[in-house]
Amino acid sequence: MNFLKKLVPQVALAEAQLLSRSSIHTSAVCCRVQSGRYRITTKRNRPLTYEMANPPHFIGHRKSWNSWNTSTLEDGLRPSQTAIEDVFIRKFMTGTWHALVCSEVIIKRQHNTIRIAALIRQAITPRKMYFLIGYTEELLSYWMQCPVTLELQTVGDKNDVIFKYI
Amino acid sequence: MFLSRHLRLLPRASIARSLGSSGAHYTTAASSNAAPAEEDSPFEIPNRIERTPTDILQALAGTVGRDHTAPHYKFHDDPFLIPMSNAAKRTYAMSKESGRKAAKWIKEEHRELFLHQEAQPAVEKFAPSMVYTENSEVDESSLQQLIAQSEVKDAVLVYNLLEQKGSPISADLKQSLLELVCFHNNQEPLPEEYIEERWFIQNNRRRDRHGKTWKDGDLAEKLYAEIEPKTPQAYASLIRGMAKYLQCERAYALLQEAGEKQIQLDTNTFNSIIEIVSYLKDTAEQRWQLCTELLQEMSQQKLRPNLGTLNAVLQCISTFGNFKLARSSALQVLPEFKQLGVNPSLGTYYYLLIIFCRERGPVSHVIVDILNDIAGKEFQIEHPKDTYFFATAMDVCRNHLNDKSLAKKVDELLHTGKNYDLVGDSFKESVYYRNYLALLCQTESIEDFMLTYDLLVPNIYIPEPGIMEEILRAIEINNAVEHVPRIWSDMVVFDHTHRESLLLSVLRIMVDNKPNAELPAQQQLPEQCAKVALDMYERVEEAMKRLRKVSFTGQMLGNILTLLVRGGNFEKASEVFAHIDKNQHRIPGTPAESALHEYVEASVQEKSPSQALAALQYAVENNMESSALAKLIHEGFTLNETHLAKLKTLVGESFLDK
Repeated sequence: MNFLKKLVPQVALAEAQLLSRSSIHTSAVCCRVQSGRYRITTKRNRPLTYEMANPPHFIGHRKSWNSWNTSTLEDGLRPSQTAIEDVFIRKFMTGTWHALVCSEVIIKRQHNTIRIAALIRQAITPRKMYFLIGYTEELLSYWMQCPVTLELQTVGDKNDVIFKYI
Repeated sequence: MFLSRHLRLLPRASIARSLGSSGAHYTTAASSNAAPAEEDSPFEIPNRIERTPTDILQALAGTVGRDHTAPHYKFHDDPFLIPMSNAAKRTYAMSKESGRKAAKWIKEEHRELFLHQEAQPAVEKFAPSMVYTENSEVDESSLQQLIAQSEVKDAVLVYNLLEQKGSPISADLKQSLLELVCFHNNQEPLPEEYIEERWFIQNNRRRDRHGKTWKDGDLAEKLYAEIEPKTPQAYASLIRGMAKYLQCERAYALLQEAGEKQIQLDTNTFNSIIEIVSYLKDTAEQRWQLCTELLQEMSQQKLRPNLGTLNAVLQCISTFGNFKLARSSALQVLPEFKQLGVNPSLGTYYYLLIIFCRERGPVSHVIVDILNDIAGKEFQIEHPKDTYFFATAMDVCRNHLNDKSLAKKVDELLHTGKNYDLVGDSFKESVYYRNYLALLCQTESIEDFMLTYDLLVPNIYIPEPGIMEEILRAIEINNAVEHVPRIWSDMVVFDHTHRESLLLSVLRIMVDNKPNAELPAQQQLPEQCAKVALDMYERVEEAMKRLRKVSFTGQMLGNILTLLVRGGNFEKASEVFAHIDKNQHRIPGTPAESALHEYVEASVQEKSPSQALAALQYAVENNMESSALAKLIHEGFTLNETHLAKLKTLVGESFLDK
């Protein structure tokens, strides 16, 4: 929220200007500078995945969206519920697959189905993975009240997903 | 994506046909619009075709078959998660289902968290189920609902509560509760949603066939006693329940009682009694007599027999020990039912197969007629025994007739339309493919067989060790050593490397069929065979340390030695020989003489006299033919003093003088 605090005087100024005379605000939007970007460490040892390495303005060019749904289109249904549910799904996934998820959790909604994709580390036996798959699909479908499918891919080592260090 | 590819591959006419069968009115409308000039006749709007909500999905699904290159869709499509053995297939599917059960348990345990309703209209299955306790407020409607959901335990609980409160229960409701309790024998059935558990359940045949499981004096009989006056439905449900859970004597007694009281029963009740005739009477003649009596009684009561009657009669006939009587009575029954207009189901054909194709009976070709009759037909489940047909038919093809073309016909029938749904469960499916592959590898050429093998293994069927042995035998007969590396890698994946007989036959094939280095196709083979041998050596050594299930024999090691020598891996070969030499008291048997011979030849080439002399010493110590080896060594090397002295002590002075 810090950036909002910094913005307050500017916003007040802009509003005052807007009220006094109509003009176009031409400076860059501050909130776009911060989100979805990672700070460079002094030792240059912060691992980034491909997804993390690309800042938000590359969405649609070099990388893709993490949530796929139509709720924010015109006449889209349940925009706020969808966002909250997506947060819940992400928390549920990273908690249930504890220390196993090596990527962002991608959530795709089509009709009444939710498909959840992620990269999982091969740290537990396939048998346990199948148990978790069945558990996650079923519990999430009880929660969302629609069919939920997991589409997981596994990686042998968590270093496999590291794209670069900054 | 797949659909469009599918459409592109089809010729134009068949596109129209395939679309026409699925979405007829759109296609016709489009094509008549396209050519209005040619036709003078006025445009006719075709009648609307009623569709169900899933028709489109089914039409789309109809364009996709089973993908042989991918695992079944219940498994995750990821190399790490694809099951590679029969045990893994079972474990993975069951663990997934067990995860489902865990989630369901959480839902029931923390029911207060799952009371929200997102879906419109609400989906009952997503909400926690109602819990009934001693103190719940219940009435008739809740009992009715529970019976409709076939929740046996809860229904019984609610019924008892209603009894305690003394509230009246209508006769209809009591009857439907009786039916529910009789059908499930007052036991909670396996929930419908656990399909994997059903698929992998071991059909315990012994329990199926013998032993009564009916609960005597339990709720069903109490309910029956409460119904006064006795209605035909009450009789029917109790008789059917008793017959289903093999309380045979009492079921039959009840039927007779109903007959004496002039109570009109229905066809299915008679069917259930005909099914258990074999438990009521001991000899074939008595059984047949009782069977005909029951059928006559049915005709007196003007009951029309149905498919169940036909199958029940055939089941009764199939238990006859007397082959001739069974055959003649089956042949008597069939035309009669045909006259009555009863269409046989796959279950009927299953019974015919087990009646006619007996192990000790004469060879019967009834399956040929059956297949001519039903080839290309699509079946739906009509009788519980319908799922037994394919496994039995393939068994007959292999063990009774040993006929490849018939087996192919059966397989074609299995893959017609939705017939694959009738394959039964995992056990029957594996019996089916076991027989199919065993038959093909005995009768087909090895190249043709390998095509089928590639198609089925490992995603659809994983051969058991017994079938692997058959396959190896076929390879041995056909001298097709080029397939061995592939089969070996499959054996490793399927975890067959602890079977000594399999290991021995793999080695035997590779040693006996020395690859011809001049053929370009076989140039890589010696090297590949050496790799297989080395892999086997390492695996067995590993397994000996851990499991102690398998152990080396001298012959096995000799074969490994030969293959390594042929593959040009002399270093490993001498390691293996050192192992033989060191543990010669522990290893039963000795390597073949030819193995030692080839090893010594190789050591001559590699110019390592000490290895050659070690081999010679081993041969002498184990009373094997040693003069040929000694000669080889003497001629192959220019030996120094120490080696020469050793050679002398081993085979004696006289040998060198010659």
